[in-house]
Order: sequence, then structure tokens, then C-alpha cells
Amino acid sequence: MAEQLPEHAIESHGREHADDPPPLLGTWRRMYFVVIGWLAFLILVFYLFARRFAP
Amino acid sequence: MRLADWLVLCGSLAFVVLYGLWRGRGSNSVNKYLLAGKTLPWHAMALSIMATQASAVTFISTTGQSYVDGMRFVQFYFGLPLAMVILCVTAVPIFHRANVYTAYEYLEQRFDARTRALVSAIFLIQRGLALGITLYAPAVVLTVILGWPEQITTLIMGAVAVTYTTLGGAKTVAWSDFQQMMVMTAGLVAALAAAVLLLPSSVSFHDAVALAGAAGRLNAVTLNLDWNDRYNLWSGLIGGMFLALSYFGCDQSQVQRYLTGKSIAQSRLSLLFNAMAKVPMQFFILFIGAMVFVFYIYEKPPMLFERAELARIQEPSMQAEYRPLEQRYDSAFESRKAAADRLIQARRSGDSRLWQQGLQEYRSAQQDLDAARRQSINLVERAGGAKGLVDTNYIFLTFVTRHLPAGLVGLVLAVIFGATMASISAEVNSLATVSMVDIYKRHFRKRAPDRHYLNVSRAATVFWGCYAVLTAQFVGRLGSLVEAVNLLGSFFYGGMLGVFVLAFYFKRVRARGAFYGVLAGEAVIFATYFLANIAYLWLNVIGCLVVVATGVLITRLGRQ
Repeated sequence: MAEQLPEHAIESHGREHADDPPPLLGTWRRMYFVVIGWLAFLILVFYLFARRFAP
Repeated sequence: MRLADWLVLCGSLAFVVLYGLWRGRGSNSVNKYLLAGKTLPWHAMALSIMATQASAVTFISTTGQSYVDGMRFVQFYFGLPLAMVILCVTAVPIFHRANVYTAYEYLEQRFDARTRALVSAIFLIQRGLALGITLYAPAVVLTVILGWPEQITTLIMGAVAVTYTTLGGAKTVAWSDFQQMMVMTAGLVAALAAAVLLLPSSVSFHDAVALAGAAGRLNAVTLNLDWNDRYNLWSGLIGGMFLALSYFGCDQSQVQRYLTGKSIAQSRLSLLFNAMAKVPMQFFILFIGAMVFVFYIYEKPPMLFERAELARIQEPSMQAEYRPLEQRYDSAFESRKAAADRLIQARRSGDSRLWQQGLQEYRSAQQDLDAARRQSINLVERAGGAKGLVDTNYIFLTFVTRHLPAGLVGLVLAVIFGATMASISAEVNSLATVSMVDIYKRHFRKRAPDRHYLNVSRAATVFWGCYAVLTAQFVGRLGSLVEAVNLLGSFFYGGMLGVFVLAFYFKRVRARGAFYGVLAGEAVIFATYFLANIAYLWLNVIGCLVVVATGVLITRLGRQ
């Protein structure tokens, strides 16, 4: 996305705005997969919960 | 309210505010005042984002909704984690690298000053209209439940929130939000524990869950794709994602929370924390409502939870109609209680025939009870009261004030006060920021010492705070405006989201396309609402798509 910004906006901030890796899992892509996986897991658990106690 | 409740309420609120002020000391420049000097760690931002979103009505209304309609409202939040991932990929790095105070400031870098001014104005109108409601909605419930004058309640909550926001700025807002969330979590856990522990000793936790499920209160996921059904898996994933994208990506009250981060990584972590925690948190809140429902199987609930309206139909002139209704309600309550006991026995014995029989009796008694409640709502109307009364907002606080032990009532009220103040402080802070950065500094005084802009920011905070308290005094007289303001939010979010989608993803689109795209999007949203019968959640999707299509079309035509 950086290429969409005016050049001066990127140049003036340099290292301060570097895309640091996350503290876990090494890359942000993996973090996003974990979040989406967690959502899928929650929906599945809630679905089973709702079915288990459905009238 | 007993002494212990007052001590817990005042003590926890005082601690939250003083802690926030202590952490926010030294906010002596515009950058520190509006963006906390970009020093905040992810956990402070994460809880501040959560506290800003969780207004008091979230706790009061969501639990009541679960009591009446079950847990399906949780699906409304399924799109939120998807939106958070999208924002982490796009908005967070772009806003950080653009080094902006507001999301709308970026629109001038990307498009032009006219687009920035238009979207800033839309934000000020929409958020300004909602501000008084945020303050008023919990006050009116506290008034009915506790008898406190709503003017006093709004004044206290507003004055405290505005004072600490004005003094400490964004850093104080974030750290007080952090502590508010701690109090909220403690209050909610205590409320759930109390609801379960107050059940008769013969009813186990598993029995309680089975009873809630048998009454259809645990319907957390609905797979059917029904366009008229507001809460199902698909509307939650798609509509909820668009709504969350608009709210967290374009609404300055949220954007400002994660702009205070010390790095892109810290801001991303704060959003991803919300992506993972928000859905379970809503499930938990809704589950409290389901347990309160089970509690009221054994403890007779009032026929109407709104006391003033109940008193209206109990007046001597209404007795001829009220008496038979009360008998029907009492009888249905006793039948449901007995059926619930039989259902528990059937569950424990494992006899499926007995279970089915018990289930039928239990559901039949529940329908009788619901019918009696509906009749009482009709009676309220005939007695000159509210039309189509909805008393769900009063259920949870009725349970809290009548049945929780001393101390816990104060804790739950601290949750309500804290949630309101967290939302108000973030909203006032963001309105002041947009007023100063996007309006005053951009259009009235471009060059001035930092100290001058700091003072203007503080003055703007006081202005919006006073505005919130004043408008909250009039909201009650306007009645249906509460719903109208919620609708107004949907009118504007689609247009705002559309222009940011153009900015992030359509690099060929220029200022002219974006500006007229927003105008076209807003026009179509209003036309759709007034001419077509469609649920307002979809207005966000329609508005966004129209802005994008118009922006692309105008840009292409301009090139030709």
C-alpha cells in the first residue's frame, strides 16, 4: 500500500514506520490466518453448542 | 443502594479516573494531547478500543435481548475479526506512514482539501448527533430503576468524563479505558456467577444451560440465509464486516485509539486482540442474559420490567383489565416452573419420551407467559402509555438491583457508569481532534505555536463535552430520535467507507471522483432508505459500492 502514498509521507518517517514483524509466529500473514482460524473455530463451537441445547 | 454499593461505585470510578489522569500527566503538546505522543503499547490501545465500542447500552441491552430473544445477536459480531484483519493490512500502515492526526487528514494527502472537509463534516454531524444519546440512554434506565433524576446522572457522567479528557487528553482516555475494561470484566463475571449461584440448590449449572436451551435462548448460530432476518451467520459475516470496517476504519473515535500506538506492529496487535476477544466477550454477555432468564424461571419476574409503565396498568382505573391478566401471568409462571422441574428430572433420567413430554409442557407454559406479557404491553398502550413498549433494557438492571448482594450492585453500576464515560471520553476526544485539526487548523489558522493549538484542542473538548451534556437533556423529549440517530449512523457510514476504499485500493481514482462519489453514495443511501424496504444494515454495503462505482466512473470519464 505504501506506493499509493505521496513520496514525502514515506520519506519523512523512515525507520519509525517500518513494518516490524509480530512478536509471535514470525509474519503478519500467519497472525491473520490464526485470527481467521480462531473465528472459524468459534463459529463451529457456537454452532455445536446451539445444536446441543436446541429445543 | 446500600453503603457497600456506594463505596464500590465511587471507589472504582475514582480509581479509574485518577489512574487515567496520573498516566496522562505531561500531555503538554498537541501530539501528546491528541495522540498520546504515539507511545502507547498494544494492550492499552486494545482495551481502549474495546471500551470505546462497549457503551453502557451494550451491557444493559444485550443481556435483555438474550433474555427475550436468545443469543443469536452474537452473529452480528462475526464480521468484526475479518474487518480487523483487512484494517491491519490496509488502514493501519497507511495512517501510520501518512503521519496523520485524523483519518480525514489522510484524504487530503490522497485526494484534496474539499474531500477531506466533506468527510470531516459528515463525521462531526453523525458523531455529534450520537453523542447526546450515548450519555442519555443509560441515564434514562438508571432513572427508572433507581429513581435518580436523569439530568443529574447525565451531568455527573458527562462532567467526570469531560474533565479527565480535557485535562489528560488521549493518553488519559486510553489508560482510564484500560481500567474501565478491568472493572467491566470483573462486574460481568460477578453478575454471571451471581445469576448461577442464586438458582435453587436443586438446579445445577448444566440444568440451567439445558433450560435456557429448551426455551430457545441459546440459538447462537443460525445458518439459514434469510434477508429479512437481521441476525444470521451470513448477515453477520457480510453486513457485520462492512459495519465494522466503517466503524473501525473511518470513524475517528476508533481510528484515534490505534493512531496512539508507538508502531504499526503495536497498533496491529491492538486490533487483532479485539478480533480475537470481541466475539467471545459478546457471547459471554449474552450468556449472562440467558442465565438471568433461567433465574427468573424460579423467581417470579415482574410482568413488565419498566416500573413506570407497570404502575400505569396497576392504577385503580385499570384494575378490571389488569387483574385477569395478572392471574394469567401468575398461572403461566407457576406452570413454567413446574414444567422446568419435570424437564430437569427427564434430563437426569435420560428418558427421551419424558424429555419430549416435558419439553412440550415447558414451551407451552413459556408461550402463555409471553402472551400475557404481550397483553400487558397492549394494556399499557390502552392506558395511555408507550406504544409497542420494549422493556428489554430494564431486565438486567432489575435483576441486579433486586437480587444481587451489597457491593455487587455498586460494581455493576460502576460498569454502566464506566462504559458510558469510556465511550463519551473517546467520542469527545475525537470530535475535538477533528474540529481542531481538520477544521480550525486547516481552514482558519494554518500557522500558530503548538501551545495555541493545544489550548484550542482543550477548548474544543470542553465545547463537545458541554454539547453532549446539553443535548442529553433534550433527547428524552424527542422520543423516537434515539432510533433515528442510530439510523443516521448507517446513512453516513457507507459513504465514509466508500471514500476510504477508493483511497486505499483504487490508486487511479482522483479527487473529483472521490468527492462526487461520496455525494452520489449519500444520495443513493437516502433514496434507498425512503423508497425501498430494506434493513438498514445493508445501507452500509450499498453506500460503499455506489461511492466506489461513481468514483471509478467519473475518473474514467474525466480521462476520456
